[in-house]
Amino acid sequence: MSDRKTERLINLTLALLATKRYLKKSEILKNVMGYEGTQDAKERMFERDKDDLRSLGIEIEVGDLDVFFEDEPGYRIPEKSYELKVPELTGRELALLSIASNYWNDSILAPTAQSGIRKLQSLGIPVSFDFDFRAQYRFENPTSLIDEITRAISSRSQISFSYDSATLKLRHVEPYRVLFWNGYWYLIGHDLDRKDIRLFKLSRFVSPIEISKKKNQYSIVEDFDATVHLPQQNIDIKRRAKIQVRKDSALILRNRGLLLEEGNEYDTYEVTYENENVLVRELIWHGANIRVIEPLELKSSLIKTVEGVLK
Amino acid sequence: MSDSALERTARALDLVPYLLEHQGISTTELAKVFGVSEKQINEDLVLIHMCGLPGYTPLELIEMYYEDGFVTVSDPQSLKKPRKMSRSEMTSLLVSLDLMKSLRSDEIAGEIAELQDKLRQNMIFENPIVVVQNSGNQEFLQVLEGAIAKSSAVKIVYLSGVKDERSEREVFPLSIYLSNGVNYLNAWCQTSKADRTFRLDRILSCEPLSGIEHIDKFSGTKSEIETGLIRLKVARAARNFVEENRTIVSQTEGSESEEEILVTLNPIDTEWLIRSVLGYGGLIEVVEPEALVEKIKNRARAILELYS
Repeated sequence: MSDRKTERLINLTLALLATKRYLKKSEILKNVMGYEGTQDAKERMFERDKDDLRSLGIEIEVGDLDVFFEDEPGYRIPEKSYELKVPELTGRELALLSIASNYWNDSILAPTAQSGIRKLQSLGIPVSFDFDFRAQYRFENPTSLIDEITRAISSRSQISFSYDSATLKLRHVEPYRVLFWNGYWYLIGHDLDRKDIRLFKLSRFVSPIEISKKKNQYSIVEDFDATVHLPQQNIDIKRRAKIQVRKDSALILRNRGLLLEEGNEYDTYEVTYENENVLVRELIWHGANIRVIEPLELKSSLIKTVEGVLK
Repeated sequence: MSDSALERTARALDLVPYLLEHQGISTTELAKVFGVSEKQINEDLVLIHMCGLPGYTPLELIEMYYEDGFVTVSDPQSLKKPRKMSRSEMTSLLVSLDLMKSLRSDEIAGEIAELQDKLRQNMIFENPIVVVQNSGNQEFLQVLEGAIAKSSAVKIVYLSGVKDERSEREVFPLSIYLSNGVNYLNAWCQTSKADRTFRLDRILSCEPLSGIEHIDKFSGTKSEIETGLIRLKVARAARNFVEENRTIVSQTEGSESEEEILVTLNPIDTEWLIRSVLGYGGLIEVVEPEALVEKIKNRARAILELYS
């Protein structure tokens, strides 16, 4: 069954591509192999096939109703809308693309990157491999959410989803961009409940996405720059802590810190930090080999955290 | 499960032009390129063989030979050129290039940017995916990539967080991965004779090894591995522990929206586990093994003593 349908779809594509003039529906049903049954059944089959081909991104042009066709429309696939056109690529560029397309080993982007590269490889460009790198990278696998969100973005449709967070569960968002930031996937968009631009981590989506049926519900400013909305890593807001480090220990902390004073049992270091919780965790990692001198809040936060373990 | 008629049609339309440019390719290779089984490729070829233009005499059919597992196309009919790329194909390729560019600091980054501009010229749609990558932390990336490509070894000096020591090792880099903004190297460590993971920002020096230059004495201590069942109760507020350590989580129980989930870990370094759990201050609770619970509590008491 699937064989016959596949065969018919291929034959239909071939015929519509080969023709210079529009083919009448009656011509197609009569001449293209695979249309069988009553007139009604054939026509229904043809309608479905057209939709199927269009869903593959193939543009089927419908001919103007002119005197020749009377009330019968004509069809064809113009070569120029069907064929891949890319600016001339060099072998070196194609090689770069091949390496890049392998970055997504087994993720959701891999199949489309691979089929994209296959098409480029069908253009007859001789590949030259003169790169000495072929690294394997592994990342958080993009989920199928990406596909859905990018579709919503292109139709400018609002989406809603349940998000794992302390407060508001159900979110209504106008999606702007999907963001791959330092190894994780995010959605950035206009949060309709909070009336602000927000970031959402895709791994915290706890429900499927619902995409509004309506299109063009909002617009995205033309020069929208997602990077300005990321939490800033500002040198100016860095705080400093004074810490004692036991001799010959906590090498990592020593490596990133500034030695203030050497002692007998402990050396004193200054380390910079942005986020107190992150630093507390880093310091606890070194166990009883470090002792916080100041600031006071850091010290009490560390003590409180460690006490939490004993509860 | 076999592919749908639509998937097969799409593949067939791509197969013919690909074959035209790769005459005499083996079906084994084709299957690999198209990411399907060899059986599926053979079925596709049989099918394509029967397709053609109205008339459907041998003159109008797609002309193809396959012998002993090798395929040649002599008349593709109207399928000479590959189909245009779909939105998602173009996006995936551009995002891949973005990623590659962000990971390079040499002149290749410039080449990639030019290539992207070239591809974008033909793009009539916006690219909905943005890649933002920290540019730091890539000092030794190029040396390591070169070693991966050549399957050669490098000598590194590494600061171990778990064992709190500095060691010199000879490693064979296998892959690099990025997690939470940090690059990690997976490598076979010739020195400790085991697979090891290294944080790139803790590699103090890294040089390619020419020829065989063994580091005979291993300067580090052996690690103790927790091999039994490890189960942790992880509170919602410590959710990032699970996210950041996906590679060692073997199972999670309980729905994501619950206050606590039960996490089972693969065998892992005991010291690492103690230090990590401790840092979460009670948000992660060890269920098993019991021996670990006491160890963690003792460590906590030792820290608190410093401040008493």
